[in-house]
Amino acid sequence: MIITSSNTLENKEIIEYKGLVTGESLIGANIYKDLFSGVRDVVGGRTSRYEEELEKARDIAFESMKEKAESLGANAIIGLKISYDNLGGTMGNTILVTAYGTAIKFE
Amino acid sequence: MKPRKENIDLKHSSKAVFCISVGTAVGLVVYGIFLFFKIAIFGWNLGLIFAPLSAGYVETVISRRILGKSSGAISAFILFIYTTFYSFILKNPTLGINLITAGSILVILQSAFPTLVNYLIMVILGAIASNIKWTIGNARKRINTAVKDNVKWETADEEVAPPYFDEAESNRKLNSQGFYFITSTDMHDRPYKNIGICQSQVIIENEDDISVKREIVEEKRLVGIKKGKDECLLKLINIIKENGGNGILDLEIEYGLIGMKGDNIHIIATGMAINIK
Repeated sequence: MIITSSNTLENKEIIEYKGLVTGESLIGANIYKDLFSGVRDVVGGRTSRYEEELEKARDIAFESMKEKAESLGANAIIGLKISYDNLGGTMGNTILVTAYGTAIKFE
Repeated sequence: MKPRKENIDLKHSSKAVFCISVGTAVGLVVYGIFLFFKIAIFGWNLGLIFAPLSAGYVETVISRRILGKSSGAISAFILFIYTTFYSFILKNPTLGINLITAGSILVILQSAFPTLVNYLIMVILGAIASNIKWTIGNARKRINTAVKDNVKWETADEEVAPPYFDEAESNRKLNSQGFYFITSTDMHDRPYKNIGICQSQVIIENEDDISVKREIVEEKRLVGIKKGKDECLLKLINIIKENGGNGILDLEIEYGLIGMKGDNIHIIATGMAINIK
């Protein structure tokens, strides 16, 4: 499965647009608790543990998106977009990670 | 004739009171000097330290000479109470009657009478804890008695089970509308005509969830978001089709919070409606 954020695939011909594929995942508020327990982990302004959690959430969203593309019979995703949104409010600090793109079939 | 024991004690006490008085007087004088000359660091008068220190020192020196032993530097304690009361409470123009003042007074008292205050705190906290325990226990007994045979309680699993959502099926439905969802900004391989910017939105209301398990609450929320997103995209298809389009370019899906409490999720889908030939 080729995934790209560009409009086309270089040297490849798109033969069919299969549709929109999306993937979402949510990082719960408990991550922040874990973050506090790992204060030592903050090095040079970066929190590696928190970054790992975000990467994990992004991977879940990616996998979900890829599964949908495969189920539609696609072999690539173009125009990939990824976003991270903080859904705070009464839920506390919760981050929604979304990935979506256009599933296509190329030759 | 041997002096009576009471007389010795009285004499001893008088001498001790004298030593304490002299120590206190010296402490007050020292404090007065520090206040008069405003000997302070960052607005904090050093007399607060040196007054009790000098009082205790003088009292101890005098009592050792007169009584042959220390009287316990009681004047230092008196000076500590006095300086704290005078400086932090009486002469503090910014002091108001509020929780912070009450808390500060408690802290001062705690440092002055640690054993007594700690004992009182423990007694009070113990009493409050036992009262809460009794109240809860009593309420539970009454509820159990009242609803014993009449109410069928839901099990925790039934209560918090996340709703079933067939994500793949919903996605298939979305992509079987004869509509082109293009997230990239252009289609190089097909001719198309621009129709215009189109947008659809959906607001997912937050249901007050009393589930204990945080994971289940979040799972429910995520399912709500996925359903809401698909609903938003179906709305977008209808809007574009009504305007003569059959596809969308540069599709953007955004998520935000909205509402009085800021806990309703706002999903917005935007893009350029097009007609692909």
